[in-house]
Order: sequence, then C-alpha cells, then structure tokens
Amino acid sequence: MASFLALMLEYWPQVLSGLGNTLLLAAVISVTGLAGGVVVFYLAISGGPLRRRLTEGYISFFIGTPLIVLLFLMYYGLPQWGLKLTPFTVAVIGFTLNVAAYNARYLMTAFRGLDPDELQAARAQGFSDLQVFQLVILPQVMRLSVPALTNQVILNLKDSSIAFLIQYAEFFAQMQDLAIRSFRFLDAYLVAGAVYLALVSVVVVAARWLERRYVLPGVRRAR
Amino acid sequence: MTLLSVQDLKLEYDGRIILDGVSFDLAQGELKVIMGPSGSGKSTLLRCLNRLATPTGGRVVFEGRDVLGPGVDERALRQRIGFVFQNFALYRHLTALQNVTLALRHLRRMPAAEADERALRQLARMDMQAHAHKYPAQLSGGQKQRVAIARALAMDPAVLFFDEPTSALDPLMSREVVNILHQLRDERVSMLCVTHDLYLARAAGGRVMFLDEGRIHAEGEVDELFGPNADPRVRAFFHQELRQAQTAPPIDVAQPMDQAQPAGPSGPAGLAER
Repeated sequence: MASFLALMLEYWPQVLSGLGNTLLLAAVISVTGLAGGVVVFYLAISGGPLRRRLTEGYISFFIGTPLIVLLFLMYYGLPQWGLKLTPFTVAVIGFTLNVAAYNARYLMTAFRGLDPDELQAARAQGFSDLQVFQLVILPQVMRLSVPALTNQVILNLKDSSIAFLIQYAEFFAQMQDLAIRSFRFLDAYLVAGAVYLALVSVVVVAARWLERRYVLPGVRRAR
Repeated sequence: MTLLSVQDLKLEYDGRIILDGVSFDLAQGELKVIMGPSGSGKSTLLRCLNRLATPTGGRVVFEGRDVLGPGVDERALRQRIGFVFQNFALYRHLTALQNVTLALRHLRRMPAAEADERALRQLARMDMQAHAHKYPAQLSGGQKQRVAIARALAMDPAVLFFDEPTSALDPLMSREVVNILHQLRDERVSMLCVTHDLYLARAAGGRVMFLDEGRIHAEGEVDELFGPNADPRVRAFFHQELRQAQTAPPIDVAQPMDQAQPAGPSGPAGLAER
C-alpha cells in the first residue's frame, strides 16, 4: 500500500486533475439536474392531462433506462450520424436527463403532501399560477425534499465514476490508470473507495446541516 | 348601495346541479350569512363569485361590473375579495407576518418596509401583533384564523368571504370568530359568510339565507327564519343539527358572549324555543 501511495504522490498532477474532474462533473450535474427536475416538476403539475402524461413518460423513461446505455448511445452511437460530442458534454447531458427525472419524482412526491387549500388560498388572493408555484409550492416541496435531493447529490458524486467508461478522465479513470501501470489493483481500488467515502462524508455533513436549517416549521420527523 | 348582486346563478357539474338559480344582493357594509347543510352548494357559491369555480349560468355584478363576462381580469377581481378558508390555509413555510405581506409584496409590489408596517397594522387589528414572527404550526386554531383574516384584510378588499370559519374550531374559538365578525361589522366591512354552524349563523347578527340543494329556500333575520313559520326544510335542517349538538359532549356553545344575547341554558336548543 505504501508504495502505491508513493506512486500516487509521484503522479499527483494526474490524480488531482482526476479528482477535480470528478468534483466538476458531480457539481455541474447536481445543479443542472436540480434545475431540470424543477422544470419537469413544474410542467408535470401545471397544464393539462397531455402534458402531465408526457412528463410522466419522461420521468418513467429516464428512471427506467440504465444511464450507461444513454451515455454509450450518445458517445459511441451519435458519431455514426456525424455528431461527435466530448466526453464531458455527453456526461453532463446524460446525467442531467437522468438526475432531473429522479429529482422531479422526489418533488412530485413532496407535492402530494401539500395542503390543496393553501394553493387555492393563493389563487384566491390573486396570484398567477406561476406565482403560486414560485411562492408557495416550490419553497415547500424543496424543503420537504431536502433529504431526497441531497441523497441524489451523493449518488451523483459516486455515479460520476461511470463516466470513465466514455473516456472522461475523472478520478476513477486515473486510479485505474495507476493500477495498470503498477499492477497494484487491490491498492488502487481500496484507495479509490476510501476517497469516494471521504467525499461523500463531506456531502452528508452538509446535507444534515441543510436538513436542520430548512426543516419546514411544524414538520416533525421520526427519530 | 349594492356591492354585490347575484342573479339566477347556476352551476352544473358532471350532470349534477350544484347551484340552481341563486339570487341575492349584498349591500355595502352589510354582513350576510348563507347557511345550509353540507353539500348544499354554499362553498361552491362563494367560489363562483371570485371565479375559482365557473358557473354555467346567471349573472354576478360586483362593484358595478359583470364579473362572469369573458374580458374580466380574474386576478384583479380576486384581489378585491378577501377570502378566509375554513381550515385557515395559511402558508406554512411563512411566518404570520410573511403570510400577510406575501400578496402586498408580490401583487402590490410594495417595498418590504411598507408591507411589513401595513401587515403589522392588520395583525394588531386582529390582536395578533405579538405572534407576528411565529409560524402557523406554532399558532392555535383561533390564532391562525385571525392571521388568515388579517391576510385578507391587508389587501383592502371590497368584501370579505368567510367559508365555514368555525368548522375547524372548538366552541370557545368559534365565539372568538363571532367577536371578530362583530368587530368588522362595526367597522362597516362588507362580509359574506357561509356556514352550517347554527350558533355562528345566529350570533353573527346579519341576515341569513338558507341554501339547500342549490337553491335559497328562505331569507330573513335569524328569528323569523327559525320561528314558528319556518320553511320545512329549514326546520328539518335545524332539528338535525340540534340532534347532533345534543349527542355531542355538553358544551354550552351559545353561552352569552360579550355582546350577543344569551340563547338559553340548553345551548342551541335555545334557538328552537324562540
């Protein structure tokens, strides 16, 4: 193990850039996935039955399809039609479509817990549908969904490692590279696992803080 | 002066007749109570008047304008009508103060300081200024109701609609609501109150309309409405409510309030003897 850590030190720019790429991808898809989730959620709860069915179809499709299929389709499939995208672009698009579907589902679940009278009261006050969404629905469902949404961020961080399969030079890809150079596969994967665990722990601490900070007044949770 | 005039209002939904030609007027500064059993169309009637529901026929003239016409600005109309819901419907992620300022800030585009000042004035009017920074979950039912009323009043509406204001409250708190209705009536606030609560209908002190199966069957002062010549439907409703009240634990819902007359020792039964 000590010699592998020495190897990591020797190749530190490579390891560090991999770590940077992992964090960049996880951060970007967490933001775009949340924004996308909010948009899909809005489309799902406003408008007529057709739109509702379309958004429900979107959510079911992306939750039901393995992400790796989508990534391979875009990265290895689309060039057949002359469309060549960088690994980062493919990863961002693929993850965003997937993560947005999950986030939209979380928000819709929370939405079912809202008091319909509150929404009617807002309309009775003269708010537009968009204002009701912005001022009454979204602040509540976001706060109710903090545990699910932060959990998704953790998944994003861990799952970003599959972008290695479409040549994105993230942390796991670099560790794989070092493993092949040194033939120390066991050490490499143990270290990779420990690093992901450490990163996730940071997110977990932040998530618990967010949960405490944004708990909806009057919502009690089981302990 | 007539503030609100409802003429032959009809609503059919799914082949069912909900409102079957309702007509009445509400004068400026008047308090009117619409009473009737559950499912009589009372709440739907209120929702037709601010267009949360769409009637299938009839005419509603509010502040001199036909509000059912095609070119009506629904959102402007709703801002002229304060609506108090039966379970208060406060926004639970906002404090009492924020509940009151939300519409001032986002519909009136009022600067924060001005909105706060105005909201605090309304909360004070409802004797709730001490609770301005509490969340709905930290307030009692009666306090929530007061905040809901302050929220409605803050927009300076031409009329206040109350939808079953006491149905989620215990008798003691119902009495508070009656006190508020009296206070607002003394301030010449126009009000339309829908209820199936006999105590409220009687104690509110306005004219009472009896709505059943989508029609108004009787209208008058409380005493004539429930007097010996009462409409048979009114009588039937009344006896049913009375039975429910008698099987309920013995709480004197009609004990003397600050100004209201006592209804006799047996609670709502006092009504029957009048």
